[in-house]
Amino acid sequence: MSYDDRANARPNLNDESDVEEEALVNDYREQVNFDDSMSELDRTTSLGGQSQTQDLQAQLAAAATPLEYQATLETKFASYDNYCSLFHYILNSDGPVDLEVPSVGVSLSPPHSSIERTGKVLAFPFLYKTNILSDNQYYWAWDVIDEFIYQFESFCRYRNRVARSGSNEEEAQVLRENPNTWGCYSVLNVLYSLIQRSQINEQQAAIKRGEDPMAFAGEYGSRPLYKMLGYFSIIGLLRVHCLLGDFSLALKTLDDIEMNKKAMFARVMAAHFTTYYYVGFSYMMMRRYADAIRMFSHILVYVSRTKNFQKGGNSYDAIAKKNDQMYALIAICVALHPTRLDDTIHSAVREKYGEQFYRMQRGGPDALPIFEELFRSACPKFISPTPPDFDNPASNVDPVDHHTSIFMDEIKNTLFNPTIRSYLKLYTTMDLKKLAGFLEVEPEKLRSWLLVNKQRSREIRWIDGGLLDGEPAIANDLDYALENDLIHVSETKAGRRLVDWYLRNLARVY
Amino acid sequence: MGVASDKCETRPAHIDAILNGLDRYNPETTTVFQDYIAQQCEDRTFDCYANLALLKLYQFNPHLLQPDTVTNVLSKALTVFPSPAFSLCLALLPPSTQPFPSTTEAQAASQTSDFVESVQKLARLSTLLESAQYAQFWATLNSDDLYADLTADVAGFEELVRIRIAVEVGKTFREINVDILEQWLDVRSREALQKFVADVCGWKVDGAVVRVPTNKENEARSEVKSEHVGVEMFGRVIRRGFEQPA
Repeated sequence: MSYDDRANARPNLNDESDVEEEALVNDYREQVNFDDSMSELDRTTSLGGQSQTQDLQAQLAAAATPLEYQATLETKFASYDNYCSLFHYILNSDGPVDLEVPSVGVSLSPPHSSIERTGKVLAFPFLYKTNILSDNQYYWAWDVIDEFIYQFESFCRYRNRVARSGSNEEEAQVLRENPNTWGCYSVLNVLYSLIQRSQINEQQAAIKRGEDPMAFAGEYGSRPLYKMLGYFSIIGLLRVHCLLGDFSLALKTLDDIEMNKKAMFARVMAAHFTTYYYVGFSYMMMRRYADAIRMFSHILVYVSRTKNFQKGGNSYDAIAKKNDQMYALIAICVALHPTRLDDTIHSAVREKYGEQFYRMQRGGPDALPIFEELFRSACPKFISPTPPDFDNPASNVDPVDHHTSIFMDEIKNTLFNPTIRSYLKLYTTMDLKKLAGFLEVEPEKLRSWLLVNKQRSREIRWIDGGLLDGEPAIANDLDYALENDLIHVSETKAGRRLVDWYLRNLARVY
Repeated sequence: MGVASDKCETRPAHIDAILNGLDRYNPETTTVFQDYIAQQCEDRTFDCYANLALLKLYQFNPHLLQPDTVTNVLSKALTVFPSPAFSLCLALLPPSTQPFPSTTEAQAASQTSDFVESVQKLARLSTLLESAQYAQFWATLNSDDLYADLTADVAGFEELVRIRIAVEVGKTFREINVDILEQWLDVRSREALQKFVADVCGWKVDGAVVRVPTNKENEARSEVKSEHVGVEMFGRVIRRGFEQPA
């Protein structure tokens, strides 16, 4: 029925995942170290490169490099053209193409020479698989897709801003004349084409069934580069759907991907991070707070364990920012769905958002601005996929405002749940009119609050299968029923846990 | 019983095929989805995932957007409260619809078209249902003819909402005052109420109260969740017992 029950029923599972996590932390250490040797390797190969490939090399490098913050509209258009021709070359040549991907340092952290490598490799023999070149391809593939979507996102937001302010007529004119640059159909087309070419969904489904993915990979999908571009395109789709406000389709996109620490995305820190952020956020918008908390906790615990290895990296700032955003989101989710958090996460939430966390948990009208402020600071930068109305600046609304107002409507509807719960906890039976007197509200209003709290304490929770699957579960320890105006309150308490204690002591004696 | 929001028992095979393929982005399938929502309105079924796909097509191709179809989708989503269906639909609408204007001035300023006004009116109804203010819901619904127009295409709109309200009441109440229930269900006479609760819900009117039989949701039993103990947890201990006979 509840989370605890299941965790309790399969205690070994937890242990195993700890071992996995340990391995992953070490794996990450390895990658960081390999960076050193890798860049040298690439330098030598690119020195001997022929002149024809120079152009392509420049394109490949550009595709994975962030644009400057103040890039002009012209640069943005040129970058779009660069992506188009690159993806056209990758997807529509005669058969799969061989690419010598440049070494890119965007997701990589600088090497930590202080960490001993040799001992660790012996301790984790499966790490021998880690092949230097293939790791570089992982990073390049991720950076290309990540940057591609980021530029799409920032272009759409920029276009919307130009239309809203209505001040820069020149740029508005250029944008008006090019409605298809960075169009949503082209972006989705690239992502879906990469997915289909690599037959990555078929491959992932085969892995899930325990079969050999290579049997389903086809001519393209058996090439590591195509496979990874396809794989990260799925993560890219998750992100694009989420930015467009289609949260159920976002989750549906990941149907064939396994969400665990062995997943391919876990190879690249930024990909791992991004995946959990968007999955968690989508769950939150579908009011599946328990699932959202599970996703955020998973990645935040992982990050807190690997923190020491990331410091100083180029991507560290970006990760630190997303990290704070996820703490804000988890604070919101816990306020809406009280639950026990992992100790590390709980103390971090209190450290970062102590006062706000407390006020959201208390509920009531005071909490409204806090919810809004945290939501705005932590939500993705939503976009509108079509060109705005340049002729009526006032009619263009920032998509972030749109989604915030939808979210805030639900917050307003459930604002008094914490109040109700805190009072009912104190009684086993209570007269409705008396409670209404305490709260200084009309009995009619209190009845509505009771109904709302009851409804929100039931939610769909994932058990297995696709991310959208789930079963109704009781989300709260506190339950009640009304016999006319008499409220009967009941509380589910967790009993003492003895088996673990018993087993530990048995092991000691035997 | 598992619930997955991307599935729907009443969904025809051809819709399922479109949803699972790339045709879901093809503007030509818009008409197929439009027919499907018309059918849902008629036979009182609801397929949230398919309707979201239609709204997505409108999001990508604003020139195809049919205001009447959108309001039908929203009205259908109202009939499945409490659920995130309505907000998920709103999320795919153009931001300019501003479903929840913050002030009355903002509301007046944003209502530049009938479509915007309709969306805002339906969003207001959704807020009332989601916050369980059922009496106000009926009052608002009956206050303006526009509401009747908006929900006219949805067969049995009022009855569907009434049943949902009754279901929610059944989960929270064991006994409820008849006057309150009359207001919440918007039934005007005692006889009509008696008939509704008996025929639709299987409840009994007993003087001034309606009795709701015990169900899983309204029993509110206190329980102590005890630890799950399985034999396999003792596997190691038992094995050791065999390996090292005393």
